[in-house]
Order: sequence, then structure tokens, then C-alpha cells
Amino acid sequence: MRAFIRIVLLSEAFAVATFGLGWWAVPIVAAAWALISSTSNAPRLAAICAAAGWATLLLLDVARGPVSAMGEKLGGVMNLPAAALYLLTLLFPASLAWSAATLIPRIPKRGT
Amino acid sequence: MRKALAAVLLAVLLYAGFRPVGNLPPIGPLLDPANGAWAAAAATTFPALQSARIRGLKDSVQVVFDDRGVPHIFASSENDAWRALGYVVARDRLFQMETQTRAASGRLTEWAGKRALEADRNSRALGLAWGAEKKLAGYDRSSPGFAALQAYADGVNAWIDNMRPRDLPFEYRLLAARPIRWEPIHSLYFLSRMSLTLGLNDATMLRLRAQGLVGRAAADALFPLNSPVQEPIQPNGQKSPRYDFAELPPPGSPDSAAVAATKAGEQLLAMLGTRKHTETHDAIGSNNWAVSPSRTAGGHALLAGDPHLELTLPSVWYEMHIVVPGKLDVAGVGFPGVPGVIIGFNRNVAWTFTNTSSDVNDFYSETVDDTLAPSRYMVDGSWRPLEKRLERYADQKGGVIATDTLYFTHRGPMRKLAGRWLSMRWTVYEKSHEPDNFLRLGSTKSAQEWLDAMRDYVVPTQNGLVADRAGNIAIRSTGSYPVRPGDGRGDVVRDGAKSASDWVGMLPLRKYPFSMNPSQGYLASANQQPVDPRQNSSYMGSDWYSPWRAMRINTLLRADSSVTPDDMRLFQTDPGSARADAFVPHFLAAAARQDSAGRSDASLREAARLLGEWDRRYARDNRRAVLFEAAMQDLASRAWDELLEPSEKSVAGDNFKFPEAQILLELMQSPRSAWWDDRRTSGVEDRDAILSASLRAGYAKIVKDKGGPASDAWLWSNTRQANIRHLLRIPALSAMKIPVQGGPGTLSPSGGGGTEGPSWRMVVELGPEVRAWGVYPGGQSGAPASARYTDRLSRWAMGQLDPILFPKKPEDIERRRVISTLTLSPR
Repeated sequence: MRAFIRIVLLSEAFAVATFGLGWWAVPIVAAAWALISSTSNAPRLAAICAAAGWATLLLLDVARGPVSAMGEKLGGVMNLPAAALYLLTLLFPASLAWSAATLIPRIPKRGT
Repeated sequence: MRKALAAVLLAVLLYAGFRPVGNLPPIGPLLDPANGAWAAAAATTFPALQSARIRGLKDSVQVVFDDRGVPHIFASSENDAWRALGYVVARDRLFQMETQTRAASGRLTEWAGKRALEADRNSRALGLAWGAEKKLAGYDRSSPGFAALQAYADGVNAWIDNMRPRDLPFEYRLLAARPIRWEPIHSLYFLSRMSLTLGLNDATMLRLRAQGLVGRAAADALFPLNSPVQEPIQPNGQKSPRYDFAELPPPGSPDSAAVAATKAGEQLLAMLGTRKHTETHDAIGSNNWAVSPSRTAGGHALLAGDPHLELTLPSVWYEMHIVVPGKLDVAGVGFPGVPGVIIGFNRNVAWTFTNTSSDVNDFYSETVDDTLAPSRYMVDGSWRPLEKRLERYADQKGGVIATDTLYFTHRGPMRKLAGRWLSMRWTVYEKSHEPDNFLRLGSTKSAQEWLDAMRDYVVPTQNGLVADRAGNIAIRSTGSYPVRPGDGRGDVVRDGAKSASDWVGMLPLRKYPFSMNPSQGYLASANQQPVDPRQNSSYMGSDWYSPWRAMRINTLLRADSSVTPDDMRLFQTDPGSARADAFVPHFLAAAARQDSAGRSDASLREAARLLGEWDRRYARDNRRAVLFEAAMQDLASRAWDELLEPSEKSVAGDNFKFPEAQILLELMQSPRSAWWDDRRTSGVEDRDAILSASLRAGYAKIVKDKGGPASDAWLWSNTRQANIRHLLRIPALSAMKIPVQGGPGTLSPSGGGGTEGPSWRMVVELGPEVRAWGVYPGGQSGAPASARYTDRLSRWAMGQLDPILFPKKPEDIERRRVISTLTLSPR
């Protein structure tokens, strides 16, 4: 249960940070999470939660407007199928979060 | 290893997130679902109730959007209304507004870098920005028009200030750009651009080019001052067109003196990118007509208009309704970027425009002190200083990628073309106040008041058609027409070293083509020569558009003495063609004579049989129009082969260098004219031989390209289609291959490219309550993901019109038809 709550909270943290600051907040949140996390799979969790956070935001967009039409148009512009764009929209934050969280353990912790 | 991979991946992602890669924009802000493209999709849906505060408003403004996305703006003052209009138009069309103004002012490189450099150079060299800035400097700051420009700009900027990140239009994300602050000059830039589209109708270079190849007498006949088919806008008392045909002088010797001008003209035409549109390559023209109550079923005046322009997504037009109690209650369409209704109606009057296609610019060959880097030019033996302007072209990062020195004489911009310094004078550079003219129209109460409001209108010259509720109809070809010295012609290059070459004034208003309540009971215009030269010989232009559309609408109006609004609508997409009526009999007669003379063959007989089956209508399901068009294209290249350069001998089809088809019709009267001989062949051909050869060749081409006549590829709907491109020419954001009714020379012309056509169709009935219908190809929203981006397209393609809501107050709009209400309050 704690793990589930942790995933939900971290996902929300990614969503809120993106909403408030922008896409570039994703690696920052991931790095912060890696710093305070005691689990060994922090990068993987960060990746999943970043994707989940953006998926939440995407679902909110779907509820509010013609996201599928945008997918078609954007896909057309980028010569990609719309489905690939949705996938990219989830892979992008996941990759950012994973890479940022993976790098963090190399940074010496304060006081050590 | 894992960490190294993570480091590389993070670096790559951050780079791609922040910076464009190749043609791709930065993907971070694009994919961000809170503020990026996905969120922008959500922002295209308006909430039922919205509010915003705007600095400068005097009172609250209510904006009700109906289910067609049209804002009905209810304000207590006109300036509040323009502020609100700027706000809502920017919300729907911000990217378009900026694109158009950048195109006019030559600042596209700041978005597209070197790819846009040539276009920017041409815009600036043409003096569009220079002219607009001069116009603004001379604009009466106390005029209602200037106040409107400023209020409109304030409204646009208020929207930019209020925008959430998600509201940033999609295209800005693709370009990784931010909107500029809007200023009154941007509206004037746009109007300059529109003047380039509509107001540069100079046949000088085409005529000189022909003169260089076939001599002056022939060139004058091919690009004549007066149309040989007279069906003028100002009624001349005739009940049918008058054919002033004369024998064309044979091709003469090349005029070496014109060759230099020819080369300069070639370069100029190429640089302008605004060659005259031939009828098979779409006419940027327009139609309008009005019917007096005596000839309408309802006993009320009717008015229809359909301006033909480049078709783009979003549309060049934005529909609006503006109410300021006691002052203004006007609906119709205007240009995104300019305050006010350009074509529309109020409670008493309806109006629309077609382009007059008059010649309002001239070229002057200048004598300069230094042919490489001039600083002075000669006038009447004295040197005058040149005005110089250093133009810098910046790229996306603000770096200067090119510079140009532009020169200006007292006439206008001067540039070196084929070794000659040519300056150009153009009414676009003259002092004027079109925004004031257009804004005044909305509050006029009668046709006469409307005409008065347009008295001092300058450019582009327009055939302004008006009808009022009292049953009056009137048309005036309005705008400034330069009066030239000497023979008065404007289709020549004049000697710039003489002040006597300059314009001597402008044509007085009383000489403008005009008619009010004519006895025939209707008025119509379709870009034809506006006045019969027997009635008014003032030079207003030359090389006029063929009058096919005018002939067709006049035929329809003469035949119907009980016109209904729906008739007016049907006329707008009528598939009949005066051009086909004129030429098909010639093809058939020629083929028959060749057959009788034993000079026919199975192919010609079959082609003639198929063409004979044609009802001369360009309906979607027609299977014969395609054959006629192929034959006509071939005919033009055979008849006018003398106008092709040696390097162009293989060029087939219609060509902007060829005369209008009405000259071809004139040539039909001379079966043995030297023009019929195709110099590319060894024999000597006459008219019948060429007509037969073209019909045969057209048939062979169509069979080769499309298969036999039973093939669906012969369907007109599979041949001519509308192609409505997005402003950035991105196919995914465009609407392509839309089958439409109409062809070259029909009232709803569709040309080969399909990129131009009726940009707005409107019908207004001026009864006790004004009723109106309209449509344009596209939708109110400029956001490609919006449902309102192309929601009108299918009805436009089918020739249908939407009833236009015209409420007196917000409560008059049925609730089910309201999609959103926006309340704007003073900040």
C-alpha cells in the first residue's frame, strides 16, 4: 500500500511540477526523488511515475478538448502516426526521469 | 556503463527538449501535456462562460459566440468594440495575423531564416513596408480610423498578455517563436500586402515583352487598352455584349528597343511573384451583383458577393458582428489584423467589392549618377538626392543574414533590372486612410451615404456594390486612378529624367465608372473593363480580364425577373460558361469543315463527337469539360507560339505571357490570319487546321493521361479540385483535393492549382428585416485541431450558405446557438 501511495504521489509530483514549471521540471523532480529515495530501483520508479504523471495530464487534455485531432495534425506535421506521438509523449518524460535519477547516486551526498 | 548511457541520454533529451533538431521544433514544450500542443488542443474549446480584464476599456463588453464561432460584440463605444474585436480575433487567428504582417513587411526570415530571404527581399524592394510606414506617418492621429487601429492593437496585446502557455498557437510551437506586440503599423502592412494582391495590374511588362518579340502594333493589339468584348460594369444600354472585333495586325519584326525593357520586365515579374493570373490558372477576381426590388420575388433589393482570393487555412476572412447601440450594428467579414467589417451589411445597407483590376502603377527609367551605387537621380537636368534605406534581414536568433540598400526616388522604390534603373510609382504609396473608409461603411444608412463614405478611398481600386432597404442599388469603381501626361497610357515605361513624365493628377470622381438604379433592374461586376470606352475613354487600365463571368451573370440576371435569395446562391456556383459557349462552336465547325474537306481522321471525328455531347457546364459529374480544357490549352500555345522564347518552344498549355482568351476569340474572326500559323511546324496552318489540331491533341492527351472517355478520370470532380493550403504550406494542416463545381471562366472559377477561388460568399436580402447568408472555405478558428478550423468547408464546396445571425441584443440569440459568452471588463 505504501508503495502504491508513493507511486501516486511521485506521479502527481511530476504532473504538478510540469504544470507549474514546464517539461524541464521532470529531470529535476527525478533527481530530487533519487536523492531522497532509499530504494535501489529509484530510476525505474521515476521513469514510470514521470510517464504516469504526463499520462494524467494528457487524460485531462483529452477530457477538455480535441486531443485526437491534434494528434492527427501533429503526426501529419512530423510524419508520424498519432499513436507514435502519444507513445513519445510518455517515453520522453520517462527517459528524462530515468536518466536524471540514474545519474544522481554518483553525486556525493551532503556530509559524507 | 549504465551511468554513461544515462548521461548521454539526458544530454540528448535536454538538447532536443530545448533546441530545434533539423526541421523538428524543440520537443519539450511541444509534447508537454500541461502547456504544449496537447494542452493547446484543449484550449481550442471555449468554456460556456469566460471573463477577462482589459486595460483601456471604458465599459464592459459582452461577446457572444454563436454556434458558427462568430463573435457578436456588444459594446457601449466603438473603441471598446475594436478593443474587444482585437482580443477575440487574436484569440482565434494570432498566428495568421502575424504571418501576414511579416510577409508584407519582409520579416519572415526571423522565423524561417534564409529560406524566406528572397520573399522578404522582394517585399521590401517593392516598398510595401516603406509605403505603409509613410502612410502611418501621414495618418491623421485624431481620426476614428487611427483610434480604431490603436484600440484594435491594444485588444490584440491584451490577449497576448492574458494568454496561458497552452493558448500559444500551434504554429508558434513548430517555429519555436513567440508572438510580437501588435501595433497599428501591422494593420497597414497587411493592407499593403492586400494591395499587392489586388492593386498591381500593370500590363506594361507583358506588353513590352510582346513588343520585343512581335513589334509594337501587334503587341498593342494583343494587350489592348480596351476589351474587344464589351460587357461593362456601368450599363451601356445594350442588352447583350458588344463585340468590337478587329483584325489583329500580323506578327511584326522584333522591336530591339523593347528588348532591354523586356528583360527588365521579365526580372521584375519574377521578383514580384504576382504575374497576371490567366483564366485557366485561376483568376484572383471576384463577382458581385445586386437586383432591384422590381426584379425580385420578395420585392426587396438583393445583393450577392463572392471575392476570389488565395484560399488558405485559416481563411483570409474572419466573420463578426459588432453592436454599439445608436452608432453601429454591422455584420460581415473583415481581415484578421484590421479592425472592422470590409464586406457585410447593417440594418439598412449591404455592400461588397470586386477588384477593378485597374492600372495604378507606372515604371520610370531613371538616370543615375553612378550605375553601381547611385546617390542621385536626374530630373529636368538637375540631380536630386535618392532616399536610401538600409534593410537588414535577421534570422531566428537575431543575427543579420543579409543587408540591402534600397533606393527611392520621389516616385517610389527604384531598382536595377537588366542593367536599367527603374523606379515605380504606385497609388499604394500615396497618402490614404482606407481603415477610415471601411469603418465608415458600417454606420451608413443608405446607398448614397455609403457611396459618400467611399468618395476619398484610394487603393486598391474596387467595384463597390451597395444596396439598401429603400430598394436602391448602386455600383462605383472607386479608388484613385492616376492621370498620365501625353497620351495618358499607363502601359509604357516613361522617361524618369523628365518631370513631364509624372502623373498630372487623379481622375475626378465624376469620371469613375458608376451606376445607380439602372433601368435594367440589376448591376453586376466580375473584374471586366468597368466602362464602355464609347461612354468614357479615360485610361483606367489595359489587358482587361475576359468578361466570361460578367457575361454569364448578366445572362442569368436578364433571364430571371423574379429573383430569390436562393437563386442568388445558385448563381454563385452556376456551372455554365460563356467561354465554352464562345469557343466550342468554333472547334466543332472547324472539325466539320476539315471532315468535309477530307482532312479529318478517326481521332478528330471522335474528339468532335465527344465535345459535341458537352452541355458546356462544369458540373462535378461532367465528363466532357476536361476535353475542352485540354483543347483550349493546346490552342493557346499554338496560336501564340510567336510569344514564346526559342527556349520555350516545347512549352505547352496556357501561359501568363499569352493574351486573354477574348483576344483569341477576336482572332477567330480571321481564319487566315498569320497568327494561326504555328511556326514550330513546316507547313502553314490556318484557323481550322489549328483548331482541329488542338482538338485532336487535347483528346490524345486526355486519353493518354486518363484513359478512354468512359473512365471516371474524365469526371470534372477528378480533374479540378480546390486545394486550400495552410499558411505554412504544411500538407497535414491543409485541405486538399476538394471537388468543386465550376471551371475556368465560370462564376465560381476553379483553376489548375485550385489554390484560388471564392474566399467568401454572401447573399443579403434588404427587406423590413435584413436577412443574410454566407460561407467561406474554412472556419473561424485558426487552430488546426479545433472543430471550427474547417467546419464550413463542406458547405462551401457544395455551394451552400449558412444563415447569418443578426441579433439586436445578446438575448436575441437562441440559447442553444450560443457556444460561449465572454465578458470583457476594464482593468
